[in-house]
Amino acid sequence: MEPIIKIQGVHKYFGTLEALKGVNLEVQKGEVVVIIGPSGSGKSTMLRCINRLEEFDEGSIIVDGIPLDTAENINAVRTEVGMVFQQFNLFPHLSVLENVLLAQQIVRKRDRAEAEKVGMALLNKVGIPEKAKYFPGQLSGGQQQRVAIARALAMNPKIMLFDEPTSALDPEMIQEVLDVMVALAREGMTMVVVSHEMGFARACAHRAILMDAGQIIEEAPPDVLFSHPTHERTKAFLSKVLH
Amino acid sequence: MSVNPLSALPASAASAVRTEKNERFDRWWIMVAAVAVLVILLIFLKPDPYKNLFNFVRDGVWRTTYITIISFVLVIVFGLFVGLARLSKHKVIRGIATVYVEIIRGIPMMVQIIYWAFALPAIIQEMGSAWNIPSFMEYRPDGIVMAIFGLTFGYSAYMSEVYRAGIQSISKGQMEAARSLGMTYVQAMRYIIVPQAVRVILPPMGNELITLLKDTALVSAVAIPELTRRGREFSSANFNPIETWTMVALLYLVMTLLATRLVAYLEKKARYER
Repeated sequence: MEPIIKIQGVHKYFGTLEALKGVNLEVQKGEVVVIIGPSGSGKSTMLRCINRLEEFDEGSIIVDGIPLDTAENINAVRTEVGMVFQQFNLFPHLSVLENVLLAQQIVRKRDRAEAEKVGMALLNKVGIPEKAKYFPGQLSGGQQQRVAIARALAMNPKIMLFDEPTSALDPEMIQEVLDVMVALAREGMTMVVVSHEMGFARACAHRAILMDAGQIIEEAPPDVLFSHPTHERTKAFLSKVLH
Repeated sequence: MSVNPLSALPASAASAVRTEKNERFDRWWIMVAAVAVLVILLIFLKPDPYKNLFNFVRDGVWRTTYITIISFVLVIVFGLFVGLARLSKHKVIRGIATVYVEIIRGIPMMVQIIYWAFALPAIIQEMGSAWNIPSFMEYRPDGIVMAIFGLTFGYSAYMSEVYRAGIQSISKGQMEAARSLGMTYVQAMRYIIVPQAVRVILPPMGNELITLLKDTALVSAVAIPELTRRGREFSSANFNPIETWTMVALLYLVMTLLATRLVAYLEKKARYER
């Protein structure tokens, strides 16, 4: 089967620093992939290349059959790929509900009633329909991140990207966000998740990937990668994060 | 799920959205009222010369007001385009906008206004004689129009910097979130960045409005009979500088204080929970 994400030989430079050194990765439809690695290893950069928030200098990325080349194709890919950020990035001047409605209306061209139906259903799904009229600033971090997930889902994406979704959260709020992500994974959503939440990886991921210095070092099912790493760098990294 | 999911929301959620709405009466209105009352008292208690004076400069007040309003509306629009141009990815567009801002900032406002009123029409007339274009040779623009152009052209440069700073103050994540949802750059600007930037921009924008209002006095130099010009006319005809300029100063003060209140009101309305 043709992979839904196909990354081939992608290089990315920040000035003279080579952030990605020829990354190859294929993700199948319905697969959940967790990427771990030390900070500065290029894992977020790679994730951000998938919806072209980050431009890459060499190589190619094809998402759902669409190559990321022209501006039109990039926009087409972005409507099919949802993204959740570490810092939530909710729109602070819009209510929670408006956050979830806006892109549906202006990008998907849904009318208000239809968008509201989708939006409220999703706020129910992430467990905070009662906050619809609040502004993001009035919500806790965990609630904001759940709204951010609902906002991305409202576009009916085929793929969801998560860039360290729980790293900016207080410990007691991490679980409520992970619960939403677990439910999503169970429904068969294709997910690429940059996160060090080993519990989530073990419970949901089909594959775990370790990146270091702009390269994919090792990939395996999470249990295998976490318990029996073969590569020295994987062992060194895991010894620091697992305790 | 009910037909309208929103009707199921508790009413308290909506009222919790804005908490500070019922703030106390704005005390600065007292100052506006005090100055206005002072003007009225002068007119009624000492009609000679204040009432005559007021009647004489009244059309100047009106002219000052509409020159300010028209110029400022144009500045808001034109300044936004220049501000966006200065943030453009395209070198040429950015370059043109930057050169424009640098030139304007380096020339006194008074000189710019005189240039628009006297030099520019003369240039067009010369061009008319050189190339034999009759409509150019007899080019006599309306003084107020040129004054408004001069103010707009000058103030847009300053306003563009206000916009630029405001837009740059919005975190990059906002643009990324908008783009990741499939919005185009223009949509992201229109729905996400500019509405947030406006809240940051309002106070410095208010400053620009007040400064513009006061700088309309400069167009008296090109014979536009606005408030300052009318004051000078009255004072030199009646030899009463103290009364005239006190009245003129008070009238400007009423206008600027009103403008300040307007801006404060808008700021309050635009506030949201962070």
